[in-house]
Amino acid sequence: MTCRTETSGHNHNRFAGAVVLALLLVVLSVWGCSGPEHYIRPDADIRGLKKIAVLPLESLTVDENAGEKIRGMLISELLARGVDVVEPGEVTRALREMKIRSLRGVTAEDIKGLGRRLNVKAVMTGSVAAYGMSRGIATSYPEVSIHLMLLDTSTGSIVWSVWHTAGGPSFWTRHFGTEGGTVSETARKAVREAVGALF
Amino acid sequence: MDVLRKYVLGGMLCLLLLGAGCRSSMPSFHIRQDVDFGFIKKVAVLPLNNLTNERYAADAVREVVISELLASGLVDVVVPGDVTAAMDSLGIRSVSSLNAEQIKALGKALGVQAVIFGSVEEFGMVRLGNISAPNVTITLMMADTGSGSIIWSVTTTGTGGGFMARHFGARSETMSETLLRVVRDAIRTLTEYGS
Repeated sequence: MTCRTETSGHNHNRFAGAVVLALLLVVLSVWGCSGPEHYIRPDADIRGLKKIAVLPLESLTVDENAGEKIRGMLISELLARGVDVVEPGEVTRALREMKIRSLRGVTAEDIKGLGRRLNVKAVMTGSVAAYGMSRGIATSYPEVSIHLMLLDTSTGSIVWSVWHTAGGPSFWTRHFGTEGGTVSETARKAVREAVGALF
Repeated sequence: MDVLRKYVLGGMLCLLLLGAGCRSSMPSFHIRQDVDFGFIKKVAVLPLNNLTNERYAADAVREVVISELLASGLVDVVVPGDVTAAMDSLGIRSVSSLNAEQIKALGKALGVQAVIFGSVEEFGMVRLGNISAPNVTITLMMADTGSGSIIWSVTTTGTGGGFMARHFGARSETMSETLLRVVRDAIRTLTEYGS
């Protein structure tokens, strides 16, 4: 009889332990799931966007091709989410025809003009602030930071903006020397999470 | 003996907490109390003055400032290209020597109630004992385009390798994370004390 009571108490403890463990796993899985902080104009009709143009992104890193690398990933991610994207060659031609030499100098009027030429309601632009391996306290790790803006071609104003960063030294890399993600994997994560905040 | 041990442990804990707290730095800022910030609906973020050896530091910080200002929901921000065009047309070459008349002219040209400008003082890795950590220091100012006077200014600094990272192997911030934190700290002074 005594033996049965002990078994019952033991089972109860095991059940409680399992519940606590499950709760911990839920908390840990939810932790970090909140997307990046972003701005979206309250009156913006994002769902109504069927096709957009992605302008070349500015590289603010030593890797001069960082902007183009992120742009490619961005176009793929948008297409994967069901948003049609203007062919990059068409965008380049429109920029050349409008004599837009510097991305830093794209004005609201230019945005309106691009919208008319490319027949899109919005254009996406931005920059890459970090793209590569960074050196931490004891390890090297990938680091990618991007700034994306969506501009309404009817007004030339910013309707969505996000600055997002991914990468950094993980627990396992720092303490156990396990292999971390590559720069490309980190870049794809940054793009996926940034675009996920919008679409 | 147990009491003594408790006191020793308590003392060590206090020292640890004091040591941890010593590295946190509150932004030093100024806000004109007689200004109603509610009238500022749209601002222009001018190119920042780069006082570091990092080529793109000012551009990188400016992008974060634009994004975080928008994300804060406080104000609308002018497209950066329009700012460049307005500065070119007004013949403004350097933001470090902006005068009140130029600020007023920028306000008229861009249709904004305020302009934000400033500088990046530190942007890179620093040595903290035997480790390296990201370090960012920025100064931001907001000028009212009606009067041309400065109504908000803030200087914030952030270092990535915190107490826990340096002594207990906790995760240290990346350069981008430190930059984001520093800009958020700066803008928080505006959201908390300016509204």
